[in-house]
Amino acid sequence: MYRVFDRVFTQLVKILTICSLLTLVFVIIFIFKESVVFFKAVPVLRFISGRSWNPLLAADNLSILNIILGTLYVSLVAIVLALPIGVGSALLLAGYVKGQLRVVIRGIIDVLAGIPSVVYGFIGLLVLVKFFETTLGLSSGESVLAGGILLAVMVLPYIISTCHESMEKIYREHAPSSQALGVSRSYLLRKIILPESRRSILAATVLALGRAMGETMAVMMVIGNAPIPPRLFGKCQTIPSLIALEMGMAEVGSLHYHALFASGLVLMLMLLVINLILYFLKKNILLQ
Amino acid sequence: MKKVRDNFLFRMWLMLSALIVLALVGFIIGYIVLNGMKSISLDFLLSHPKGIPLGAEGGILPAIVGSLLLTLIACASASVLALATAVYVSFYCQSRQLETVVHVIVQCMAGVPSIVVGLFGYTFLVAKLNLGRSLLSAGLTLGVMIFPFIEVRAEKSLREFNRAILQSSYALGVSKVYTLLKLVLPQCKADIVAAVTLAGGFAMGAAAPIILTGAVIFAPIPRSLSSPVMALPFHLYILTGEGISLEKAYATALVLMVLIFAINIVSIALTFRRKEVGR
Repeated sequence: MYRVFDRVFTQLVKILTICSLLTLVFVIIFIFKESVVFFKAVPVLRFISGRSWNPLLAADNLSILNIILGTLYVSLVAIVLALPIGVGSALLLAGYVKGQLRVVIRGIIDVLAGIPSVVYGFIGLLVLVKFFETTLGLSSGESVLAGGILLAVMVLPYIISTCHESMEKIYREHAPSSQALGVSRSYLLRKIILPESRRSILAATVLALGRAMGETMAVMMVIGNAPIPPRLFGKCQTIPSLIALEMGMAEVGSLHYHALFASGLVLMLMLLVINLILYFLKKNILLQ
Repeated sequence: MKKVRDNFLFRMWLMLSALIVLALVGFIIGYIVLNGMKSISLDFLLSHPKGIPLGAEGGILPAIVGSLLLTLIACASASVLALATAVYVSFYCQSRQLETVVHVIVQCMAGVPSIVVGLFGYTFLVAKLNLGRSLLSAGLTLGVMIFPFIEVRAEKSLREFNRAILQSSYALGVSKVYTLLKLVLPQCKADIVAAVTLAGGFAMGAAAPIILTGAVIFAPIPRSLSSPVMALPFHLYILTGEGISLEKAYATALVLMVLIFAINIVSIALTFRRKEVGR
C-alpha cells in the first residue's frame, strides 16, 4: 500500500516541479519572443541609443535611451541616499543593540518592507512632491529627486537586513578577543566589522539596485513620466512606469505593443545581470 | 585628538542613521493612520463605491473582498508548485548541475520586475488564452510573481532540517516519502506557512501586475473566476491618480496597510513559535 503511495507522491513532486520550471521558462521565452518581433522592425542598437519616444509616429521614433537613463538615474540617487543610512543602522544594530530590543527594531524595519509600493507612491505624491512645489518653489515637484528619495526609503530595509546578518556574524566572531584586548566597541566596529563586511555591503547594494530599477507604482506616481533626458529636478520616465502607463493604450500586436515588450526585455536583461552578480556574491559570502 | 574625533563622527553617523530610519517608519505609519482614521467608518468598510466620479463617496467593500480573493488565488497556485519544487530540489535531485539550473531559473524569475510579469499576464492570459480581465488571470499573474519568493524560503527551511535525523530515518529503512511527510514537513510547517503568508502580503500590496490583468475601477463583488475585480492597491492608485477623493484615499491606504500588517503579524508569530519549539 505504502509502495504505491510512495511512487505516486514522488511522481507528483516531479511533475509539479517540471510544471513550475516550464512555466517560469515559458514566461521568460514568451517575453523574449514578443520583443524579437519589434527588433525585426527596429535594430536593437537604434532602439537603445535613440532619444525619441513617440508611438504615434513611424517606427524609427520608438527608442528608449532617455528612459533607460531615467531608470538608472532614479535608482542610483536612491542607492546613494540609502546606503550610508542603511549601513549605519546595520552597524548600530549589530554592535550596540541587544536581545529583545534588537528583535523589536528588526520588526519595525521589516514593517517598512511590508508597506505596499502604492502607499509609498501615495505618500510621496502628497508629501514629497508637495514639499518640492510649495517650500522649494519648483514649478513641478515631480522629479528624479522625489523618485530617488522615495525609492531610498523603500530599499532601506533590504540594505539593512542584508548587511546586518553578516555584520552580526562577524561581530560575534571578533567581540571576545577585542574585548579581551580592551578595544573600544566603536573602534572594533569601525576598523574590523565595517571593512570585513564590505562584500555583504556590495551584495546589499546590488540587491537594492535591482529592487529600485524594477519598482513600478511608487516611482510612476512621483516622477512625472516624461520621456526626456533626466535631470535631478526635472521629470523623467522609467521603463516600468512606461510599460504600466502605455500598455493599456497599445493595441495587441501593434508595433507600439511590441516596443513595450522590448523595453521590458531590456529592463529584464539589466536586472538579470544584476541578479547573477548577486547570486555569485552570495555564494562567495557563504563560502567564506 | 584625531582618533577621538573620528570615533565621535563614527558614532554620530550610526546614531543619525538609526534615528532617520525610526523617524521614517514613525512618520509613514503616523501619517497614514492619523489621516486615515478621520474618514474611516463601518459604513466605509461595508458599502460599495458611489458618487460622481465613482469612488468619491461610499465605501470599498468590493475592493477588500477582491484583494482577499486575489491573494488567496495567488497563494494557492504558487505555494503548491513552489513547495513541490523546493521538496524536489532538496530531497530528490541527485545531480548538482540540475540543482544549479533550477536555482538559476528561480533566481532569474525573482529578478523579473512585477510589471513585466503583469505584461506577460496581460498578453498571454488575458489576450491569448482569452481569460479576459478577470479574477483568475490577475490571481495567476500574482502567483507567478510570488513563486520564487515562496520557493526560496521553503527550500531554505527544508535544507535546515537536521541531517542526522534524516540519516537515522533512512538507516531504519523508513521510506523517503514517509520521512518527508511525518518528520520533515511537520517541523518545517510553520516556516513554510510563514513564507506563504508573507508572500500573500506581498501579493496583496502589488498593484503593477494587476493593472493590466484584472483590476478595474468599478466592479461588484466577483461572482466567478472570470469576472473582473476591484483591488485595494489599484483603487488607491485611481483615487489619488485621478484626484477623486483624498479622504477616501487615506482611508483606503489605511485599510490596505492594516490588512497587510495583520498578515505579516501572523507570519512573524509563526516564525517565533517555531524558534521557541526548536530550542
